[in-house]
Amino acid sequence: MKSIIVLSGKGGVGKSSIAASLAIAFSEDKRIVCADCDVDASNLSILFSLPTERYEEWTPLSTNQIASIDRDKCIRCGKCIATCYFKALRSEDNIPKLNEFGCEGCGACELICPAKAITLKDIDNAYIGYSRTGYGFKIASAQLLPGNSGSGKVVSEVRKKAKEIEPDAELMIIDAAAGIGCPVIASVTGNDYALLVTEPTPSGYEDMLRALDIVDHFRIKKGIIINKYDLNKDYSAKIELFAQEKKIPIIHKIPFDRAFVDAMTNMVPIIDHDKDFRKMFMDMKKKIEAEVIDSEK
Amino acid sequence: MTRAIQITRSIQMTRIIAITGGKGGTGKSTVATSLAFELSKEKRVLLVDADVDCPNDHLLLSIKREHLKTVRQRIPKFNPDRCTKCGACGKVCKTNAIMSIKGKNPIFMPDQCNGCGACKIICPSGAIEWDSKEIGRIYSGKKDNLDFLSGELKTNQPISEFIVNSLNEEIEKRKDGYDYIIIDTAAGTHCPVIAALENADYAFAVTEPTPLGAHDLEIILQLLARMNKKGGIILNRSDIGDKKIIESMAKKHSAGIIFEIPFSKEIIIQYSKGEPVNIPRISSIIK
Repeated sequence: MKSIIVLSGKGGVGKSSIAASLAIAFSEDKRIVCADCDVDASNLSILFSLPTERYEEWTPLSTNQIASIDRDKCIRCGKCIATCYFKALRSEDNIPKLNEFGCEGCGACELICPAKAITLKDIDNAYIGYSRTGYGFKIASAQLLPGNSGSGKVVSEVRKKAKEIEPDAELMIIDAAAGIGCPVIASVTGNDYALLVTEPTPSGYEDMLRALDIVDHFRIKKGIIINKYDLNKDYSAKIELFAQEKKIPIIHKIPFDRAFVDAMTNMVPIIDHDKDFRKMFMDMKKKIEAEVIDSEK
Repeated sequence: MTRAIQITRSIQMTRIIAITGGKGGTGKSTVATSLAFELSKEKRVLLVDADVDCPNDHLLLSIKREHLKTVRQRIPKFNPDRCTKCGACGKVCKTNAIMSIKGKNPIFMPDQCNGCGACKIICPSGAIEWDSKEIGRIYSGKKDNLDFLSGELKTNQPISEFIVNSLNEEIEKRKDGYDYIIIDTAAGTHCPVIAALENADYAFAVTEPTPLGAHDLEIILQLLARMNKKGGIILNRSDIGDKKIIESMAKKHSAGIIFEIPFSKEIIIQYSKGEPVNIPRISSIIK
């Protein structure tokens, strides 16, 4: 199974919208599966008019542990408080009290406690599930519960789930979160191709460079899509020049179009909006295919 | 008497306001920079860019950042002479930063290490000492009267919230010198966002009138509720899309839409040029 990761660093540049329409384009002649790895704000399936409430499966997931303190066993030595590198423990009446937001579940406090008063307990930190979309292919996604940590591990579970529900798929399309932190690193590793979506603004450009650092760290082949390229043609030219110097193909330049927003508001993938958009995405698909699949033959 | 003093102090206290939103690209940085710049014309204001994964506020305001400090994280250093190759360190490492097989020296991948120290505690032969790695930087800057701090995570380092915590320390040191501190958070709801919201007295969630905006708004409102933070909604690009879906989400979580920003090509152009974006009446959200 080949896999393509769509990422951008900066949020709101059109990553999910483009990933959704590309998935539909690929699904027309391939067996594909989608993985929504933006587990902070999982919304790829909404673009297929499929809210997670209508998923075939949507179950609690535990990828995290947090410290649990037995007050009766605690000898109030304070070692755990001094040990916690994440400052998740503080003293309250000489007994350690846990700030759940801060606990990484590392287990250092459990190891240091001389009275065995601390144990790590599994906590449900997310929901995970899948469903078949109206386009025939399946999608796996997860939602981190607000205020929980461990998004990197949840991302790995989504990718695993996508493989499980469609083991014979030829292609997996992964939508990453904004940023470049742990959930994005977990999304990028081990893919065959990275599609960097950017926009012609200083932040769009700088964030693309940051995302590119991660992609290059894992030595993944990549291409660039410039969204809303005509909003600032000077900046678009700057991105194109950069791509040329680095020998990164520009897969497409998408013009700014209010139809994009209208399509999203009506929960219609852009590819289905009109004939021109359809042609555009079929072109992109061909180019990406040539990069990912044909180049190996 | 005591009471009177307390009241005066609370009025003079710095107000820390976070700009957040869940979804990326809804206009958090545009609102944060515009609000901070506008307020700084009459008040003492510090803008803090806590989107340490992708900090951009300096680009929006054309601020040249000065390196203030380097953020380091501790990592273990293995002494091969003392190591008994027991494999215990690899077993307790929850981030898979240590690969250890009994009978062989452990292999350490510093990028994956979060510095928790479990390996050092478990090591029976004292073969582990502390070393450190650079994980990011804090910068400072100025735009006219506006003071500015910005944190930046080094790429391929997983723990963004350490950089945010370091920003929080800087805020703590300086806060008495300001009337308002505006914190611009990252997208999402995970650790670095939580850390950025921790010290805020009030949070604005910036959203857009689309189903995706509404979906992510709900998650951030739930987070704010869980953290006991007061908050309001700023609806960006309010005239394109469907405002009703945000109104019903606001109602569901008893939150108010405090301010609306209509779609404006002018804003997009200012934004793409790195000029302070002028959102008319934006400072009215701070009463």
